[in-house]
Amino acid sequence: MLVLITGGSKNGKSLIAEKIIENYDVPRFYIATMQPFGEEAYAAIERHRKMRKSRNFETIEKYTDIDEIVLPEKCAVLLECACNLCANEMFSANEKNPVDKIISGVEKLMKRAEIFVIVTNQVGEDGIEYPDSTMKYIENMGKINLKLSEMAGVVIETVYGIPMFLKGEISGCIL
Amino acid sequence: MILITGGAYQGKNRYAAEKYNLDIGDIADGESVEINSISDYRCVKNFHILIKRLLDSGENPLESTQKLVGENPNIIIIMNDIGGGIIPLEKSERIWREQVGIVGCFLARQAECVERIICGIGMRIK
Repeated sequence: MLVLITGGSKNGKSLIAEKIIENYDVPRFYIATMQPFGEEAYAAIERHRKMRKSRNFETIEKYTDIDEIVLPEKCAVLLECACNLCANEMFSANEKNPVDKIISGVEKLMKRAEIFVIVTNQVGEDGIEYPDSTMKYIENMGKINLKLSEMAGVVIETVYGIPMFLKGEISGCIL
Repeated sequence: MILITGGAYQGKNRYAAEKYNLDIGDIADGESVEINSISDYRCVKNFHILIKRLLDSGENPLESTQKLVGENPNIIIIMNDIGGGIIPLEKSERIWREQVGIVGCFLARQAECVERIICGIGMRIK
């Protein structure tokens, strides 16, 4: 099953994602898409590493081309986050069609995963008019979120750590 | 403690005033209130701006908030959701945005009630 988690900055998305995965007693993989540029990225990566340490995740650092990842059958996967992945595809790899590429990558990985949780963001929420490349990024992220939400059995928005179920539900799992 | 959140100009203050019978004198404005006097009020609005003021004066917003809630466990806190959108280029704005998220998660955990206001309509989410 695919679970999509969205929400604002530092709103507890990762924590909820990890709690969902904890309910699955299968090998756990964490696909880290954030490229370590600058001290804030390092701090964020370090913070997420600490959170995962006790939860037995194997980290796969993959900034683009998630379709190249090889997973064992019946595993649990957390991908964080779709926004970094899309930015990397667009601005580091100059990918012309990041939406289709990311979606087909997710479809491929979904076949191996018993549970696949993807963390994303609402990058279009601030109403500011940005330069064209950023507007294109916002558009692509909107399309990716729409498509992932269609594919997902569960869609959650976190509001200051509170999970709001926008689609489906997770039974027997205390978030 | 009650947390009221939502986007800018969604009627949060009016909603809170009507629902909890707040007079103007009950409400501190996070934008201008003397920081040490907040625990004397029943409610503080613009709490996200208060977080910015705390950051500007070198304080740790989470610690200050924990202290405030300890002193005034029945306070009603109104703050905007500012965690969406593109990550700001300006470092201080990024830090502010993240600190609002961190403090908001603390407040939501502590709160007996969390309400989210959209178009003036409140939705109780905790």
